[in-house]
Amino acid sequence: MIHHVMGNDGTYPLLIALWLLPLLGAILCWGFGPWLKARAGWLASALVGASFVLAVLSWGAGTQSVGGTLGAHQSLLSWIPGFDFGLLLDPLALLWVFVITGVGALIHLYSIGYMDGDAAFARFFAYMNFFVFAMLTLVLSDNFVGLLIGWGLVGLASYFLIGFWFFKPSAVAAARKAFVLNVVGDVGIMFAIFLIVANVHSIGFGDAFAAAGSYATPTLFLICLGLFVGAAAKSAQVPLHTWLPDAMEGPTPVSALIHAATMVTAGVYLIARCAPLWSVNADAQMLVGTIGGLTALLGAILGCAQWDIKRILAYSTMSQIGYMIMGVGVGAYEGGVAHFFTHAFFKAQLFLGSGLIIHALANEQDIRRMGGLAKKLPYAFVVMLVGVLAICGTPGFSAFFSKDMIIYGTLQHGHPWLYAVGILTAGLTAYYMLRLLFVTFLGSYRGAVDPSDLGIRHPELAGLPSDGDPAPQDATAHHHAPAWIMNLPVGILIVPSIFAGWLMFGGANSPWAHFFAGQFPVPNVVVPPISEGATSAIVFACVLVGAAVAAARYASKGALADAVARLRSESVRMPALLSNRFYFDAAIDALCVRSAQLAGTFFGRVADPHVIDGTVREAAISARWMGTLMRSLQTGLLRAYALILVFGAACFIVYYALAGGR
Amino acid sequence: MRLRGDVNVLAPIAILLPLVAGALLFVLPDDPRLGKIYGTLVAFATLVVVLLARHADWSVRWLARPFTAAFHVGPTPIGWWLALLLGLCTLCAVAATNLPRQRSFVAQLLLLEGTMIGLFFARDLLLFAFFWDAMLIPVFFVLLGWGSHPATAWRYFIYNFAGGLLLLFATAAFGVIYGSTDVIGQSGAPLIGAWAPWIFAGFALAFLVKTPVWPLHTWMPATYADAPSPLVAVVSAVQSKAGLYGFLVIGLAYLPTYVARFAPELVVLGAISLLYGATVALVQPDTKRVVAYSSLSHLGLIAIAIATRNPLALQGALVYIVAHGLFSTALFLILGYVEEREGTRSLIRLGGLGHANPRLTGAFTIAALAALGLPGLAGFVGEIVILSGVYQAGWTWAVIVALIAIVLASAYMLRLLQDAMNGPVVDDLPVRRDLTWIEGLAVAPLLIALLAIGIQPHAIMAAIAGAVR
Repeated sequence: MIHHVMGNDGTYPLLIALWLLPLLGAILCWGFGPWLKARAGWLASALVGASFVLAVLSWGAGTQSVGGTLGAHQSLLSWIPGFDFGLLLDPLALLWVFVITGVGALIHLYSIGYMDGDAAFARFFAYMNFFVFAMLTLVLSDNFVGLLIGWGLVGLASYFLIGFWFFKPSAVAAARKAFVLNVVGDVGIMFAIFLIVANVHSIGFGDAFAAAGSYATPTLFLICLGLFVGAAAKSAQVPLHTWLPDAMEGPTPVSALIHAATMVTAGVYLIARCAPLWSVNADAQMLVGTIGGLTALLGAILGCAQWDIKRILAYSTMSQIGYMIMGVGVGAYEGGVAHFFTHAFFKAQLFLGSGLIIHALANEQDIRRMGGLAKKLPYAFVVMLVGVLAICGTPGFSAFFSKDMIIYGTLQHGHPWLYAVGILTAGLTAYYMLRLLFVTFLGSYRGAVDPSDLGIRHPELAGLPSDGDPAPQDATAHHHAPAWIMNLPVGILIVPSIFAGWLMFGGANSPWAHFFAGQFPVPNVVVPPISEGATSAIVFACVLVGAAVAAARYASKGALADAVARLRSESVRMPALLSNRFYFDAAIDALCVRSAQLAGTFFGRVADPHVIDGTVREAAISARWMGTLMRSLQTGLLRAYALILVFGAACFIVYYALAGGR
Repeated sequence: MRLRGDVNVLAPIAILLPLVAGALLFVLPDDPRLGKIYGTLVAFATLVVVLLARHADWSVRWLARPFTAAFHVGPTPIGWWLALLLGLCTLCAVAATNLPRQRSFVAQLLLLEGTMIGLFFARDLLLFAFFWDAMLIPVFFVLLGWGSHPATAWRYFIYNFAGGLLLLFATAAFGVIYGSTDVIGQSGAPLIGAWAPWIFAGFALAFLVKTPVWPLHTWMPATYADAPSPLVAVVSAVQSKAGLYGFLVIGLAYLPTYVARFAPELVVLGAISLLYGATVALVQPDTKRVVAYSSLSHLGLIAIAIATRNPLALQGALVYIVAHGLFSTALFLILGYVEEREGTRSLIRLGGLGHANPRLTGAFTIAALAALGLPGLAGFVGEIVILSGVYQAGWTWAVIVALIAIVLASAYMLRLLQDAMNGPVVDDLPVRRDLTWIEGLAVAPLLIALLAIGIQPHAIMAAIAGAVR
C-alpha cells in the first residue's frame, strides 16, 4: 500500500475546527430552530465567520513549502481498511476556503434580512450552514472519495435550497432536475475512482498524481473523462447545464452563494486539483478546453435572450464558468482559478443586488416590468453598475485581469480557436449585461403596464409575483429587518469586485503568481504572435462594440421613449432556437427521460404481467381453451399444485427422517 | 445431547425464543397493546441473544444414513451479521406495527424471525433447507389474513415453495454424494462429479427465486404491495437476502467452479434486474411497488458482486446487504405510516404531506437518500466498494450499467419522496398528526445505523473482511 501525502506530513488540528464549525451550526439551527428563532441567522453567520477567521489564521500553514511539498495536512480516520481520509490545505484549497467562508459569511448576513419573516427561517440557515460544511469537505479532502462525499453533499444542500419553498411545484421540479443531473456527474467521478483504485490501489491525491506518468494513455484519458463528467454536471457545462437556470427557483441568496460563487465552480477546482493528470494528456485538455469555450459562448448567447433577471445572471454564470473551465482545461491553471476568485465577488454582488431589486419590487423578476429604477433604487443601481463593469472586463475592474489571463492563456497553450471564442464571448458579455442594466434602470418604470403589451404571453412562466420568492411577502406582516443588514454585505463586496484583479497584475511577479508558486505543473508555453497587451486591447475593443450595440438598442433616446413597443417586439420576435434554449431541455427530455419512462411503462405494464408472469400462468390459460375436461382442473389448479408440493416435501422429509433413524 | 459450554446453548435459544414466544402469543388475551409490548420485548431479547451468540456452536446428531446430518446451529460470520440485521429489523417492525388483529400479526412476525434466525444459524444444509421452507409459512398466513388478494399469497407460496423443493432435492443429492450435509461454514473440499452441475442448478434456481432476480421476480411486487408494511419490511430487508447468503455459504464455498462457469449468465441476469427494476420504479404509481422494484434493482447489483467472486466486491456486497436491509426496512415502515394516515399508496393522489408532517418528511428523506446512494450514507459505501471490485474483476460493462442504474435510482427515489411529501397541500387527503414518539423511535435506530455506517464504515468493513475470507 502506497502512503503518499499531499501537504506536509504532520498534524494541523485547526483544520478540523475550520471544517466542522459550519456543521455544528447546521445541527444547532436544525435541532433548536423553534427556540433560536431569529437568532438562528446570527448564529449561522457567526460560525461561518469564525471559519473564515480560522482560514485567515491558516494562511501561513497553507502556503508553507517544506521539502517541495506545499501546505498542511491533518489525518482524520481510516475510511475502510487500506483507504484513509485526511484534510489537505494548500494554496488551491486555501483560496476556495477563503471564498466559501468569506463570501459565505457575507451572504449569510444578507440572508438575515432577505429571509426575515419566512416560516422556515431556521431551516434555511441550517441548510446554508450544511452547504458550507459540505463545500469545505469537498475542497479540503486529501482523496477522491472524500471529495466525492463533499461533491454529493453540496448537491444535496443545493437540492434542499432550490426546493426550499417545497410547496411550489416549479421549485420541486427544479430541485429534482438539479439533483439527478448532478448524480450523472457523481457517477462520472465514481468511474474515475474505480480506474484510479485499480491502477494505484489508493484513493489519495498524492498517490494518484505521483503515478500520473505511469498510466496508459487511454486509461488516463478515461480517468480525466470521468472526472470531467463530474465537473461538467456540477459546473453547468454543455450539455449538462440545463439545471442551472431552473435552479434560480431557490431564494436569491442561495443563487448567490451556491449557484454563482462557490458550488458551481467545484468543477474548476476539480480540474485544477487534478492538474498533474490533465497536463500529461493532450486529448483531455483539448476536450475540456473545447467544452469550456462552447459553454462560454452558448451561455452568453442565451443570456442575450432572457427576461428574468436571475436567469440572465444564471446564463452569465454558466458562461463565466465556461471561461474558467476553458482556462484550466488548456493548462492556464492560474488564470482559470483567478477568474473563479474575481467572479465569486462580482457575481455574488450582482445576485445580491438583484435580490435588493426583487425585494423592493415585491418579487418581480421580469426586467420588462422594471425600468427607471436608477432613481427609485440608487443603491441597487450603484451595486449593479459596479458588478456589470466588473464582469464586462472594464480596465481596472477585477475581471479585466482574470479574463485576459484566460484568453491570453489559450493562445499561449496553442488554441487559437478558443482565443477567438474568448474574445467574441467578451463582447457578447458586455452586450447582455448592459442590456440588463439599461432595461432595468433607465427609462421609466413599467410595472403598471399591462404584461401583454410588453410581450409577456405566459405570466405564470415569466417570473411574475405569483411565481417569485414568497418570503418577503410574509415579512411585510411582521417587522422588517434593518436595511443595512442587506446593504452592508453588498457594499463590502464592491471592494474586491473592483480591486481583486490587481493581485494578478504583474505577470510572473504578481502576488497571484507568488501565492501559487509550486502549486501547478509548469507547462511548455509558446510565445504567441500577439502580445498580452495587444490581447487586452482587442478584448476591450470587442467589449466596446458590445456595449455600443447595447446602448444603441436600449439606452438611446429613441429606445427609451419607445421602450414598451420595442420590448414587446423583441419578445414576440425572439427566434424559436433561442426561446427554446437551443432545444437542450427538449433533447435530454426526449432521449433520456421519456425513453426511460417508456421502457419502465412497457416493462411494468406489458412485460411483467403478460410476458413473464403470463408464461407462468400459461397452463391455466390453455386449460381454459381446452374445454370441460381441463376446466375442472383449472378451478383448483393453484390449490392442487400447492398441495402436491407440500405433500411431496412432507413425504421426502419423513422418508429421510425414518431412514436416518435406523 | 451434548453441549459445548455455556455460550453455545445461546444458538438454539436464539432460534427457539421467538418461535416459542410467538406461539405462546396466540394463547394470550387478544389485546393490541399487550401484543405489541410483548412482541417488542421478545424481539429485543432475541436481538440481545443473537448479539451474544456470535461464537455459539451447538450440535446434536440427526441422521447417519443415507448421509450424516446434524441439528447443528451456530452463526457463520456472515450469518451472524444477517441475524443481527434481522433482529434489528424485526424489533423496529414490531414497534411500528399498528394493524387490526395486532396480536396475531405480531405472533406471525416472531415466528418469521425464529425461522429466519434458524436459517442463518443453520450449519447443516438439511436444516438450512428445512428453515428455508418453514420461513415461507408465516409470510403465507399473513398474506392470506391481512392481504387483499388471496391469489398473492398463493403466488408467493408456489413460487417460493417450488424454489424450496428444488433446494431440498439439491440438498438430498448433495448429501448422498458428499456424505454429509453438516458443511455450512466449514472449510470442506468443493463438490465434484457428474451431478455437481445439476446440484448447482437446483441451488441457484432456488436462490434466484428467493432474491429475486429477473425473470423470476414477478411474485415479489405483488407480495410487497399487498402485505402489511412491517412484514414487508422484514421480508424485503432480510428474507430476500437468504438466496444471496446461500450463494455465499454454499455456492462459493462448495461449488466455486460452477459459480465461475456461470458467472457471465449471473452477471447478465443481475444487470437486467438492475435496469429493469430501476426503469419500472421510475413510473410505478404505487409507493410500495416503487420500493419493491428498487429492491429488484439493488439486489441485482449484489448478485453481480457475488458472481464476480472478487474479494473487494464481496466485502462491498456484505456492506450493501446490511445497508439495503436498513434502508428498505425504514422505507417500508415509513410508507406504512403514510398509508395508515392517508389511506392510499397512490403517488397520483398523495402530495404536500410535508406541511403537516415535518418529522415524517425528515425520516423519509434520510431513508430515500440512503436508498439512492448519497455519498456519506451506508448505501454509497456498499455501491462504491462493490463496483470497484466488479471493475477490477474485469466487468466494465456491468459497472457502466450499474452507474446508469444509480442515476435512475436518484430519479425514482426523489419522485417517491417529492410526490408524496412536497408540492401544494392536497385538499381531499386527511390531515394527520406528525410521527408519534413510538413511530419515530421505531425507525430511528435504522436511520442512525445508516448514518453511522456511512460516516465510519471501517468497523463493519474490517469485521466483514474476516467473514469473506
